[in-house]
Amino acid sequence: MIERRRILKALAASAITLPFAGLFAKSARSAPSVAKRLIVFYFPDGVPAPQGQASRFHASGSELAFSLPENLAPLEPYRSSCVFLNGLSMGGTDAGSHPGGAKKLLTGVDGGGGESIDRYLARTVGAGSPNRHLYFGAMANQNAASGDKHISYPSPGTTVAPEDNPILSFQRLFVPQGNGTQDTEGASVIDTVKGDLDDVRASLEGAERQKLDLHLEALREVERRVKGLSPTCGGAAVDISGIDASQLYSPERFPGVLRAHIDIMVQAMACGLSQVGVVQCSQHTSELIMSRFPATPLYKANFDMRSHQASHYGDPGDPKFADYVAQRTWFASQFAYLLGELQKRPDGTGTMLDSSVVLLCSEVCDGNTHLHDNMPFVLAGRAGGTLRTGRLLSFGYRRHSDLLLSLARAMGDGATSFGQECQGVLPGLFV
Amino acid sequence: MKTNLSWTLATVGVSAALGTAFGCGRSGDDAAKADVASGEAQYAALCAGCHGTQGEGKTAPTLRHWTRGEPALAGIIDERMPLGDPAKCKGKCATDVAKYILEKLQGDLVCAAPRPTARGLRLLTRREYRRTVQDLLGLAFATKGGDTCEASFRYDPQGRSVSKVHVAGSFNAWPATTAAGGWPLTLTGAVWTGKRTLPQGQYLYKFVLDERDWIADPGNGKTSPDGFGGNNSVLDVQCGVGGGAADPTTSFPVDTRPEGFLFDDSARGRIVTPVLADEYFRAATTLATVAVGDLGKITGCANLGDEKACAASFVARFGARAFRRPLTGTETARYVDLTSKQGSLASGVRAALRAFLNAPQFLYRSEQGTPQKDGTYRLSGFEIASALSYGLWGTMPDDVLFAAAEKGELDAPEGREKQARRMLADARARETVGTFAEQWLGSENVASATKAAQLYPAWSESLGASMAEETRRFVTSVVFDGSHTYEELVTAKYSMVDDRLAPLYGLAGGSASFEKRDYPDGTRAGILGHASVLTATSHSDQTSPIRRGLFVRRRLLCQELPAPPPNAGGVPKVDPNATTRERFAQHTANPTCKACHQYIDGVGFGFEPFDAIGQKRTQENGRDIDPKGDMNDVEGLGTQTHAPYTGLRELGQILASSRAAKACVVKQYGRFVAGGVDDDACASSDVVRRFEATGGDLREMIVATFASPSFVLRRSAP
Repeated sequence: MIERRRILKALAASAITLPFAGLFAKSARSAPSVAKRLIVFYFPDGVPAPQGQASRFHASGSELAFSLPENLAPLEPYRSSCVFLNGLSMGGTDAGSHPGGAKKLLTGVDGGGGESIDRYLARTVGAGSPNRHLYFGAMANQNAASGDKHISYPSPGTTVAPEDNPILSFQRLFVPQGNGTQDTEGASVIDTVKGDLDDVRASLEGAERQKLDLHLEALREVERRVKGLSPTCGGAAVDISGIDASQLYSPERFPGVLRAHIDIMVQAMACGLSQVGVVQCSQHTSELIMSRFPATPLYKANFDMRSHQASHYGDPGDPKFADYVAQRTWFASQFAYLLGELQKRPDGTGTMLDSSVVLLCSEVCDGNTHLHDNMPFVLAGRAGGTLRTGRLLSFGYRRHSDLLLSLARAMGDGATSFGQECQGVLPGLFV
Repeated sequence: MKTNLSWTLATVGVSAALGTAFGCGRSGDDAAKADVASGEAQYAALCAGCHGTQGEGKTAPTLRHWTRGEPALAGIIDERMPLGDPAKCKGKCATDVAKYILEKLQGDLVCAAPRPTARGLRLLTRREYRRTVQDLLGLAFATKGGDTCEASFRYDPQGRSVSKVHVAGSFNAWPATTAAGGWPLTLTGAVWTGKRTLPQGQYLYKFVLDERDWIADPGNGKTSPDGFGGNNSVLDVQCGVGGGAADPTTSFPVDTRPEGFLFDDSARGRIVTPVLADEYFRAATTLATVAVGDLGKITGCANLGDEKACAASFVARFGARAFRRPLTGTETARYVDLTSKQGSLASGVRAALRAFLNAPQFLYRSEQGTPQKDGTYRLSGFEIASALSYGLWGTMPDDVLFAAAEKGELDAPEGREKQARRMLADARARETVGTFAEQWLGSENVASATKAAQLYPAWSESLGASMAEETRRFVTSVVFDGSHTYEELVTAKYSMVDDRLAPLYGLAGGSASFEKRDYPDGTRAGILGHASVLTATSHSDQTSPIRRGLFVRRRLLCQELPAPPPNAGGVPKVDPNATTRERFAQHTANPTCKACHQYIDGVGFGFEPFDAIGQKRTQENGRDIDPKGDMNDVEGLGTQTHAPYTGLRELGQILASSRAAKACVVKQYGRFVAGGVDDDACASSDVVRRFEATGGDLREMIVATFASPSFVLRRSAP
């Protein structure tokens, strides 16, 4: 019996002709005026921004002359590609609640009563991609996580679970099911099932019908893969050899799982397999014992400090505060790693970072008070030259719906409003 | 405000009396009425969300038994309500709301009729899919084995001169060279061999000789055309042990559980994502390929030579089982058409099987019903058959249920009761009750808990797996073998113990299989003392009286509490000179915390004689553990009762005699069966009555759930 379930070294090495070259070309716009892809990077339990004290996360200064505090130090090498955002609020409803914040974060609607921006873009500008949406987690489903722990809403009020296992993500994206031969039988199977779906859908109403609409969309995505040639993703190898599928929920393995999922995300996007992705670190009110991350500044032998536990530091004088600050810096360093991977890869006349828009976010502001004002948001990537980066934009009070709308615009979607209290795109953000 | 048909107020006397109290002439009466009307509107907008539309209490206490008079109530509203935003209701608003509550929302509620759950489609859960495809296709999946396992490659050149061999295939993107990622084989004697670990599934591959000649594996008879006139070899990686087909559901995504819902089968909260659709498609292809290996068995055709007749009878016969009802004319035509257009009977049947297993009629079970005069919807016989079989067995109906559905025997409560009793005798019913128990009690994931090794050296993943198994076995044993009573569930002096758990419970010996063993002393009581429960409700390095208190409130008493307010403070830090109880004392000292923690900590403190992995302890940090707890307000938050207890056995006795606890297990089981939470306190009233009348017999509760008239009724989905 296999005790340790691991793939020793899985490679996606040889560059066979991209079967989706045609599709890819279509999605690569002639004018570099919008982002080709959106990646959302989420971490749980907010940031150290104690009342009456300087935030350890928010940038300070003027639009062009600003400094990055401790938490954002890892973003220093990328500051010219980032837009730091202060003063965005998610509104008063459920302020003080982790789940309440997670529900509003990407939907812009109280109680998660809307489709999230990632799902919206996946079905609009991303609709032509072989995989419209990628949703990867690291310990995001731990302990039968309830739906409010997940931030991506395919339909109002409904979340789905991210994939926590990089081996499965790798397999689905890079290990084709066929051998480049067309599955003609599969195509007629899908035609039959589509007929069934249409019939069943017609017998339903309201939310139930919407469920079948989503099912049909999902099947169409399978259909494109079945009727086309199986995609083969060329380029550099993604190394998932360190992943042990039986240890996905050991805190010691968290950094490795997260790293693998970032690598798979970047590689899939580099191949044009998807344009929209979300990486979710853990889950709100996180039990993740970050003091067990090996070979990181967070490591402490025989001492357990969880994310949510540290976030309730009480007073900045409490030793937990230092742990909390260090944890948030670590999350920012993982975001920096993602930016670095994007920057490494040439795309057109620039890099993948230039042609992307990437969002760093959490579900509350300060972890001790859980409030939903001055939310910790950082945008990165030039979005194909659309965004004026290297800036700090500060707003008095503005709903983060405007940020979500701005993401849509950066991706070339023509939406004029998104979420609640939306006034328009963030002023000063676009070129 | 909307009238709720299922509530009847038994409060006429109270409101009449209050009416006279306001009586100061006619104009005064009118003014009082206006105040109450205004209070009603404010109540609906500001209070009903937490206190319930009828003041019955949800996340906030019930208001129906207020004894302290109007000024006190108005004062509290003015000062503190709504919680967190008292500015919303001051002065007249507060007095109007108080008047409304005292005039309209007092006294016990009487349920007129249960409210049906919402109609719609219910997607099979991962566990339901796994069982269903096995029953449908007559397969048995290997029960153990991982997601990945070892595959061996062997090439015998039979004298041919070769200096280098590598494997190229769908698993490594067909590299032409080893430098590009080809898997090299090594020469052992005269034969080239190599091993690789792969996720289970089907792959295609070739051997590449000297990085030049691509050949199919001559030692593997299973091939498929490569599109270039040659063949690829087919590699089936199946990780199962002890025979049986590979389980295709191991890579399915987890079933989403909406906020606050304990069970995996939420009807409204789960959808088919592209990833899940992909998994369904892949699994169907694998399963269909396996199934057509025995064409006679899967088609049931005596004469496979008459392809046309066989296709038609296969579609009708198999389709009715796959869709759990006879096919419609359209469906029959569609599937016969697919089956007959694939060139051969085998490929036609395979294509049809693939389609059946991807069809919404298979993946969802219908609970739509047909409209009735009173606005409800009544399930069809076949819909009832599925509701019974998935509720009791977690899989598709058997032939007996199908026959009963066809004869209309499931429409009447007696018919369903007869079937439920028959089905309870089957092993699948034990399995499903075990699933309910571990989701209800939160013991299902205890093996993946993280514990601090220096504090709990006995902890291991396998010990956790034994804990989870203990709880499954104990609950099924109480329900099926023991007294069947709720009382036994929370007071039993024994459990099901293996040799990993025995030392933890202070028992000698034990074997690898689970045996019924008495606890060595009187400190544990039923599920309350289970290591799984005590471990799952603790942190990695300390116990949590909060989580243990909430375990009792939420899971055992169905009493919900609001989330902590901002600035709550979190877990007090570990203090080497204090007990956990002492550290948490601030909760009841601070009035803001106390509002909720008066209902949580006192219950949880009584679990302190057990550490974070459920081991007994009498001291913590050199100080004696105070084992006293208080199961206050057991019948409802805000009822202001106290029930001090020492030891879990006393807590078990309190719960065993509690009506709220019995009503809660009915509610939780009802949620599991219905795949949803019904906020209506009347939802399961008839089942509760029967459960109480039988002395808390859990088998009778199960039977009553399926026999209940409301079991076959649905209402419009919102």
